Amino acid sequence: MVISRFDPPGGLTDLDETGLEQWSAFISAGVDAAIAGRTDHTNDAPRAQFYNLTKTDTAEDATSQDISWIAFPRQVKVSSVSDRQRWTRADSSRDLQDEYCEWSVTRRPDGKITRVTFTCEGPEYWQLLAQTQPDTLLELYQQHVDPAVQHGDLFDASGSYIPRNNRNSGTTNGAMHLIQAANTLSAEIELVAAASNVRLIDGRELTGEQELIDCGRYGAPQRNSDPHIGGVVNSIARLKADLALSNPVGLYIDDLSTAGWDTPNGSDAKSYWTYVRGDDGHPVRAVYEVPAELEFVVGDIVIDGNPIEFGAQIADFISIKAIAVACRFGQSTVAPMTACVGDIEGLAAAFSATQLRSRLI
Amino acid sequence: MAAESGRSQLAPSTVYRFVMGVDSEPTVMAQSQLDSLADPMGVLLRQGKFPLTVHDLLAEVDAAGMLPLQRSYLAGEAGQIPLTETGSLQRDLRFAVTRARAANADLLISTSAVGDPAAMFLQVMGWDETAGQFNYYMRLDHTWVWAGDSYSALAPESRGQGCFDSHVNGSLVMKEFKQPWLHWQSMNATILLAPDDPLRDNPLYQSLSGAEDFELTVRAGVSRWTAARLKHAVTPDGRVADLDRLLRQLCTTTTVNLASSVTASSAVVRSPATPLTLPLGLWLNVDSLLDDLGLPARFVPPSVPGQLYLDSLVRYDFALVEGEFRRPGDAFFAFVVPEAAFEDIEVVNQLVRRKMISAHFAASVLMVDFPNPVFSPARGKLLAYVPTAATLDPAGGVSQQVADVIVEAAGSLSADSPEAQFAANWRLADADWRDVFVDRIQNYMNAVTARIGTDQGFDDYVRLAESRRREFKSSRLNEFTLTLPVTNIPPDAPLLQLNEDGTIRQKPANQP
Repeated sequence: MVISRFDPPGGLTDLDETGLEQWSAFISAGVDAAIAGRTDHTNDAPRAQFYNLTKTDTAEDATSQDISWIAFPRQVKVSSVSDRQRWTRADSSRDLQDEYCEWSVTRRPDGKITRVTFTCEGPEYWQLLAQTQPDTLLELYQQHVDPAVQHGDLFDASGSYIPRNNRNSGTTNGAMHLIQAANTLSAEIELVAAASNVRLIDGRELTGEQELIDCGRYGAPQRNSDPHIGGVVNSIARLKADLALSNPVGLYIDDLSTAGWDTPNGSDAKSYWTYVRGDDGHPVRAVYEVPAELEFVVGDIVIDGNPIEFGAQIADFISIKAIAVACRFGQSTVAPMTACVGDIEGLAAAFSATQLRSRLI
Repeated sequence: MAAESGRSQLAPSTVYRFVMGVDSEPTVMAQSQLDSLADPMGVLLRQGKFPLTVHDLLAEVDAAGMLPLQRSYLAGEAGQIPLTETGSLQRDLRFAVTRARAANADLLISTSAVGDPAAMFLQVMGWDETAGQFNYYMRLDHTWVWAGDSYSALAPESRGQGCFDSHVNGSLVMKEFKQPWLHWQSMNATILLAPDDPLRDNPLYQSLSGAEDFELTVRAGVSRWTAARLKHAVTPDGRVADLDRLLRQLCTTTTVNLASSVTASSAVVRSPATPLTLPLGLWLNVDSLLDDLGLPARFVPPSVPGQLYLDSLVRYDFALVEGEFRRPGDAFFAFVVPEAAFEDIEVVNQLVRRKMISAHFAASVLMVDFPNPVFSPARGKLLAYVPTAATLDPAGGVSQQVADVIVEAAGSLSADSPEAQFAANWRLADADWRDVFVDRIQNYMNAVTARIGTDQGFDDYVRLAESRRREFKSSRLNEFTLTLPVTNIPPDAPLLQLNEDGTIRQKPANQP
């Protein structure tokens, strides 16, 4: 089956018909560019086992594969020497929250946490909303961040949307969508496509997640997410299958584990976890908050005996996921790449500049 | 199996008990004891359910309408070895399966992921909330055997026997407990399977979760048992029974976890110029000292140029070996070492949190020989001063009572004795001890950092790590040959320890 168009992440219903068409076109173009591969690289193009769901049939033998990882940033974890140090660091800057999940913490005047909001919505969707439905964008900020948000808080004098606006750039004043530089849907599409190249180096098929990302040069090797996404995708490609990111293409909250959590009244700590955007199976935004009628707040809940003092403590228990779909198992005739990715001199800088330019403009 | 072991075949659909060290053979469980089994597995058995495969067991749990949440996990020491290299190697993959009503797992199943499910091992742990303990079961012949409970692990007659050789303190076991969870399928590594491996059709494989999730379950399970155990240990009048059994988890290494670098050894081969950060558990008990006791030490995790690490693999002929199989190089993730076990760490943490010992007391013990977070004879010596029972006092639990005995003994011993080191730590004023310990840790880590980049310094740490791996290998926890690499360092080479100045020394031959 060929799908008629790509749906918005999480099946979100904010876009009008024009916006829906533009979104599908944006994703489709991104997929096509990723299939074509990077022309500034050697041994990288094309990515012939990666396909466009709107142009190529998904066969009857299709299976989907969730690929999940922990939301707490690995790079912060491995460079810290204690939990308190890493929680403090991860809560200090959205730029450190690089596992396709960012959060904002709300506290009472006494410092106790009352609410933590997590998002895994890519910035591209919000760029499109800003261009086609700026009023809708403002309403969403007012609904999910603060009713007091004004148009001027989000748009500059020329009317351009500011993704890193004051209500979406810190860790305490709201988190509407992802802003960390590597946390984009475009990055997700590119790395999945690049990872679909099977690598046979010196006669040995590469299978390890770290050696694959080193050889294929997709994503950031020091994250939880990118090597794992690439590793799983490559393991599917090694089954001689064709693969794609499942529709709707996006990054999703997989789950919150509350193993080891205790609440003051003995209630289920998971009951205070609410998905507020995205459909069933594809949540893109979640809030952890205790209802006001109860006589305790998030900061009174303990995890492994420690009160929740950081949003990052919750991030330790959140998993994020991408969803791949694969079909035509055993049928691919694409030959493995027999060398690792290299640069074509002089082209890398030009490609980077192209990548940074929004394809929505 | 039955004929080989010389015992008679067990009757099907009959619950037996067989606690190694207590029972000489399986015997039919008395009805009164059977009636007391209140964990989920015990409930099934009491209802006359005797599922003999993991899938039948899970079906019975489904049919009973209890524990609806299921997770499965996969581990295997050969799981990351490319299939083109394994030859006839038995890959020995194993499932861990959890069932839960809510967040915490009440039923944990361990079974082989290969072979005939009716013939391969099948073991179960069930949490009994009322008794505050796990019950342990194994399928034997065509029925089920109760192998003991959490307290059996602590009782002298059954300690270390049977399943308690790995469930050392009556809790859950996940040796490779932290990221990157060496040997587990996780977000850091995928266990390799052939395209036509029948395991791919197994529902437990198709719904696998990563070890990153199992760590949370194990962490919560250990904490739950520890909390129940400590609550049970104190009588209403404040008397603590079996205090020595509790404080041996502060003073000694009752078991270990295996830690490693988060970097795959193959990645170092590809990028020898990239620094390799070694596991923090090699240097000190970070979890207890910095996390739980909150010492605000700051340092950069020590790393080594990748080429030095690669040179050491050649120099010491690192390899994974089992029978005729030999694969040159390190384990899948680089630089595996035993580190302080979470089940010991959690006991200390909860003893402090419940004010059964003070943070100062715990830190005073842990800072004795702190560069050796595991297998420290010096800290172990302090256990001799712990009484079997004591009464809590409001100020610091049993701290003062135990400390007084050690300090008194220190008076007649040399200044470098463990007793004298403890006494010096204990005498520090409440306002000072944290700062003093932080300074010592930071100075020590600075010394390590200065040495690790030198040929001699790193060589010392490679040999130290191998020494600690040999100590682990001598324990019953070392079940699988491929768990750790072997080297050309002789098995009887002197064991090594770290000094506070970052140098190493030989461990005295008569000290375990």
